[in-house]
Amino acid sequence: MSLSRRQIAVFPAILALGLAISLQFAGASKGKKDPASRPAQMDEQKRAMHALNRLAFGPRTGDVERVTAMGVDKWIDLQLHPEKIDDHALEARLAPFRTLRMDTREMVENFPPPQVIKAIAEGKQSMPSDPARRAIYQAQLDRYEARQERKQEAGNTDPAANGASGKPAMTDGNGEEQARRREDRLYADLKAEDLLDLPPDQRMKAILKMSPEDQRAIGTSLRGDKGDEFMEGMKPQQRETLMALNNPQQVVTSELVQSKLLRAAYSERQLQEVMNDFWFNHFNVFIGKGADRYLLTSYERDVIAPHALGKFEDLLVATAQSPAMLFYLDNWLSVGPNSDFANGIPKRNPNYNWRRPPRNRRPAQVKQAKGKRSGLNENYGRELMELHTLGVNGGYTQKDVTEVARVLTGWTLKQPRQGGGFIFEERMHEPGDKQVLGHRIKSSGEKEGREVLHILAHQPATAKFISTKLAMRFVSDNPPPALVDRMAQTFLRRDGDIREVLKTMFHSPEFWAPDSYRAKVKSPLEFVISAVRASDAEIGDALPLARQLQNLGMPLYGMQPPTGYSTKADAWVNSAALLGRMNFALALTAGKLKGVQVDSDRMLGATGANADAQATLIALENSLLAGDVSRQTHDTIAAQMNDPKISQRQLDDPARAPNSSAIAGLLLGSPEFQRR
Amino acid sequence: MSITRRVFLRNGAMAVVGTAALPHFLTRAAFGATALDAKNKRLVVIFQRGAADGLNIVVPHGEPAYYAMRPSINIPRNAVLDLDGFFGLHPAMSSLQPLWSQRHLAIVHAAGSPDPSRSHFDAQDFMESGTPGIKATEDGWLNRALHSLPQPADKSAFRAISLGPSLPRILAGQEPAVAVNNINDFGVGGRNANAAPAANTFEAMYAGSVDSVLHGTGQETFEAVKMLKSADPSKYKPAPGADYPRGRFGESLKQLAQLIKANLGVQVAFADIGGWDHHVSEGSTQGQIANVLREFSQSLGAFWTDLGDLAEDTIVVTMSEFGRTARENGNRGTDHGHANVMFVMGGPVMGGKVYGRWPGLDQSQLYEGRDLALTTDFRRVLGEAVHRHLGNQALNQVFPGFDNQPGKFLKYLG
Repeated sequence: MSLSRRQIAVFPAILALGLAISLQFAGASKGKKDPASRPAQMDEQKRAMHALNRLAFGPRTGDVERVTAMGVDKWIDLQLHPEKIDDHALEARLAPFRTLRMDTREMVENFPPPQVIKAIAEGKQSMPSDPARRAIYQAQLDRYEARQERKQEAGNTDPAANGASGKPAMTDGNGEEQARRREDRLYADLKAEDLLDLPPDQRMKAILKMSPEDQRAIGTSLRGDKGDEFMEGMKPQQRETLMALNNPQQVVTSELVQSKLLRAAYSERQLQEVMNDFWFNHFNVFIGKGADRYLLTSYERDVIAPHALGKFEDLLVATAQSPAMLFYLDNWLSVGPNSDFANGIPKRNPNYNWRRPPRNRRPAQVKQAKGKRSGLNENYGRELMELHTLGVNGGYTQKDVTEVARVLTGWTLKQPRQGGGFIFEERMHEPGDKQVLGHRIKSSGEKEGREVLHILAHQPATAKFISTKLAMRFVSDNPPPALVDRMAQTFLRRDGDIREVLKTMFHSPEFWAPDSYRAKVKSPLEFVISAVRASDAEIGDALPLARQLQNLGMPLYGMQPPTGYSTKADAWVNSAALLGRMNFALALTAGKLKGVQVDSDRMLGATGANADAQATLIALENSLLAGDVSRQTHDTIAAQMNDPKISQRQLDDPARAPNSSAIAGLLLGSPEFQRR
Repeated sequence: MSITRRVFLRNGAMAVVGTAALPHFLTRAAFGATALDAKNKRLVVIFQRGAADGLNIVVPHGEPAYYAMRPSINIPRNAVLDLDGFFGLHPAMSSLQPLWSQRHLAIVHAAGSPDPSRSHFDAQDFMESGTPGIKATEDGWLNRALHSLPQPADKSAFRAISLGPSLPRILAGQEPAVAVNNINDFGVGGRNANAAPAANTFEAMYAGSVDSVLHGTGQETFEAVKMLKSADPSKYKPAPGADYPRGRFGESLKQLAQLIKANLGVQVAFADIGGWDHHVSEGSTQGQIANVLREFSQSLGAFWTDLGDLAEDTIVVTMSEFGRTARENGNRGTDHGHANVMFVMGGPVMGGKVYGRWPGLDQSQLYEGRDLALTTDFRRVLGEAVHRHLGNQALNQVFPGFDNQPGKFLKYLG
């Protein structure tokens, strides 16, 4: 064949877009072949690709053309105003997830945590009357009681093993229980196999008819891949019920995780999603910490998203008062050492005459309260300055940490496990003036905290720290200091307006410098979502993708320390990660991820499934990587075409279509696709 | 045989020369440890991420101030596993007690990084770079520890490994290092033979890539994949009695033992365990700290048992970014502090002893009036293992800017 690969790549473009664009395209390829003649600026096609890689989770099929047609600058401007972008297709996808629209209290009521079940079992709380809800409660209650019974049994048969010696119960009782569980699981597995033969609707009906024990057993046997298989084809509501019978808490967390993946993959408001992710990670909260399992839905929806492109101070205050953060970094428990609470002075009830001495003053209770929580907790005060605002070198001292902690005493929660929100509790607040970063904070209760947050939000160190972090996410691992300085100036001049800071960055020469193109290695989330978008995959169930992210070292909402995930290459480039990515790419395109479907015809576009191997490769290079593939990658894959497992050619059937999914998998696992 | 291996080695090594039935390492050791082939020496580093509470791990039960400062979370004297009349192990650490009595486990108390940072992130970074206070260091000390060693002839892709989905800072640097998440699916397409062409294609693609970062990692990866395939570590089941607890850390050490037993040339290895940041309800003999300590020590105990004879050439060192406040806070927890405790275990270790100077817990003895003061720099402890065990004399390159003369070692390796 005498045509070069690049020339072939141009053909479909000519057909699709006409001569004008194809000329541009050819110009780009000429520039690429000879690095010396590379223009100092990116051409429009490359600019579109770059913008989609940075402001979005990568391009979908046709996005580059769409953005080019609209004009890159105009597209960026639109992305900066997500309220102007219609997103009804995504909304329809999210509609079945009811918890996304619930407040925390509703979530707790509908999908009770173990504490609520325990309270009901002990007669401290009553069962709900709504029948569907009641069924979920009943299943949990049965399970709880069975567990209690088993505990008692174990205690009766072998009292010595039951902690009498101070050691945890072990050995015999445990072994028996394990055997019983194994047996239960075996039968449940068999039942699950039978049910799999039924169509999804009937499968669900059959389950609802089962006894609670059987439902439970089925539920436990459906963890991981098996569950994916079992729930395949079910409607989200059906999945929700099935999951709730087994583990109600999981409904809340799994809907949150799924919605995050669906938004990233399908929202038209891509910059909003990128910024939601950026700020969540900046103000990281770990989903595995107690009540936070129920608090993150509201945190992301009501705290992060509304301010993601707004004023930094508003975002900071919203996080500081969010139940999720107050709980995660323990500030809700921090008590001023000299506060009324610490001194055991009971609450004044406003209904009583203040002169009358309180009647229920029981010294024992007061003493207990004092022992339980009577002191400062520095955890939030430190991370607030180190991670949220000033940065670790932002010029604060240990003394500042303690003072900020004193200021924020009384910023607490009422019953966080039942979904209670932020309150300021004067009785826990440390009295007296404080000194923070050289500012005297006059004693004024809740207002002190607002004052300190205001000071922190407007520090030059904060402007620089936030600008650096943004530039690291959007430009390069080591962003040019001059760019960071200009962004920080915008930050200070425009009262911490995040949209304005982004504008400064998106319109900077540094952002568009050829060096910036594909300078960033994708994080696992960016990699997985960009692969889904590039291949136009249809996500029926996002949970298998979430499990992939876990395997790639980036479980969603799963970063335990407050630092959040790194956005730099060195955190994500290593053997385990590379193999994980290659395997993901192959599994995705081969249709081996349950719940995620890839349509290779769509990836192939006009080229069609019957083209020869070379044409198929080129078509896929165009659709997955906008045609910008190194010669090395292209030649390597082209050479492998001779392998029958990839080409699928057979002696008796030389015209058989090439295995386009294998080729797509190789391209998504290529070095080029690891970068954005 | 009722005497322990250690006692046997110390007292009767010369007597065994020529006894064919003895394990290989014993006969080798009998000829003198220094003559041993250096590449068989292994250093395993464990990081307790999140600032473990050293004062509740190796408890100074002979210190009245300890009990005064921790009214609700102290470990009562009658509950500690006494070590030497002054210190005692947390009761959840009984799995390590036999190692202590066999003198394979040494403890260094009041050790750590001298940097005053109480930031998890910075302090971990400093302990991994090996240059406290200097952020510009690009590589990790465990990588540098290999760098200035003479290269073995048969260079292994598994010379430096980390268990987990990412390569930690401590192993970053010039020497190839691999991260292994799970040895059972370490490869392209798992065990599916049909995946071979895809694997080959990826290998060629990364080998030819001009992307220097991905090129290098790709090369290391595929070398490791091939080695692992031929060694098939999955056939090495844990030794009898090596009961790894469930959880990521136990799984990491189990897989590490498999790699070592498969003779893949592991010289340095790294694993970490999180869950130590107990600002609230730390617990005492039971509770949060007891749970994580149980997992920690059972895993290490199982690893030791599992290695069998190979433990003789292995040293395990543990560290955590800083300790926690000497006093408990208002929530029955502890906040970020300063000095901490380190464990050193292994065949060559002169264990059964708490090394380092104990600074005391009286108000005047505390660092900044609140934390355990530091008397042993962590680089002193590590330097001895790197120098004496791995045989790397160039400590000024491994820990630049730190005066680490062998004369200043704690001499836990004799």
